[in-house]
Amino acid sequence: MFKAKIMAVLLFMGLVGLCGVRAIGGPHWSASQADPAQEAWRKEFDDVCSKTQDAMTFSQEELTVLIRRCDDLLPQIEKLDETRKKVYMGRLRMCRGLYAYVLDAKRNEKK
Amino acid sequence: MNKKIFIALAVILVFCGQALSQTGTKKKRPLPYEYGRVIIDNYSDKADLAPVVFEHWIHRSKFTCRVCHVDVGFAMKAGATGIRAADNARGYYCGACHNGKMVAEGKTVFQSCSKKVTAEDAKRCERCHSFGKKVASDYDFFQFSQPLPKERFGNGLDWEKSEELGLIKPASFLDGVSIQRKSLTVQKDFALNPKVEGMPDIIFSHKKHTVWNGCELCHPEIFMGVKRGTVRYSMVDISEGKSCGVCHTTVAFPLADCQRCHSKPV
Repeated sequence: MFKAKIMAVLLFMGLVGLCGVRAIGGPHWSASQADPAQEAWRKEFDDVCSKTQDAMTFSQEELTVLIRRCDDLLPQIEKLDETRKKVYMGRLRMCRGLYAYVLDAKRNEKK
Repeated sequence: MNKKIFIALAVILVFCGQALSQTGTKKKRPLPYEYGRVIIDNYSDKADLAPVVFEHWIHRSKFTCRVCHVDVGFAMKAGATGIRAADNARGYYCGACHNGKMVAEGKTVFQSCSKKVTAEDAKRCERCHSFGKKVASDYDFFQFSQPLPKERFGNGLDWEKSEELGLIKPASFLDGVSIQRKSLTVQKDFALNPKVEGMPDIIFSHKKHTVWNGCELCHPEIFMGVKRGTVRYSMVDISEGKSCGVCHTTVAFPLADCQRCHSKPV
């Protein structure tokens, strides 16, 4: 009876461990989150996308420049590891999307 | 006699069955503490783990919508982000805060997923992977909600007023993740005329929405029309989760709270 209990506990612990390993298994692991200060693309990203609050105050020319800067960032972000690519592609899409949206609105205003 | 009753019952059952199949069954209204709950099961099941139960109310009391849905990068649709344990362990998505290092309210925020998992970590995994399990939480909704101003639907709380009164202080910046931005130039509120006669106009407050969301969370992905009046919004579309319904059927006060949007005095 005692042996059976020990076996059951060991089996349970083994299963728990196995579940944990399976949960994180699969894709490769990068060392850690890269220091954003060291990366030029991140500096440019922060600079371009920090202006979304002021989007409505920009001229059409300024908005066009911001959209072009977003487009220039795209190939650099595509080169990142899977996780960062997913995160920053999404962030860039939103940021570029807003500038393009405001530019459209401004063009419409003039019509 | 018995035979007649039996036939009558059978006829009633057939009609009831038909009626139910036409209209479906009524959706259960979530309880205040369940409102906004998201069950995430992109990969959990495949990893033999219970799906993740994400409680919006805990997180929205600490952060603005923008921090999570713009800066951290969570999609606005449940399951659309495709979060993996590896992403969290690298310090992204849930791992942006749940990294075992961040200190909030005097407590270290527990780590979400890690590179190596031992048997002792099972309890930690269960804090999120808790669907269908009885896991004790550090946060009790009833205790949390007690001092907050009440509302009728959703979480039963007036989140906006709670912030105004300083009872909650959602952070709008996450170190290392958010970008320093200037404070927002607030766009003017505007009125929208409903199609139904006698229904009060909708007063859309840009201020209320931008404080928590910023601009890019809504434009252009949720609201793409650039010229006012060119896109027609219907309550059917909204109740199906489009436009306002993206938030107001899931997390923000629900559509049943008509007068909070249709608020122009008649």
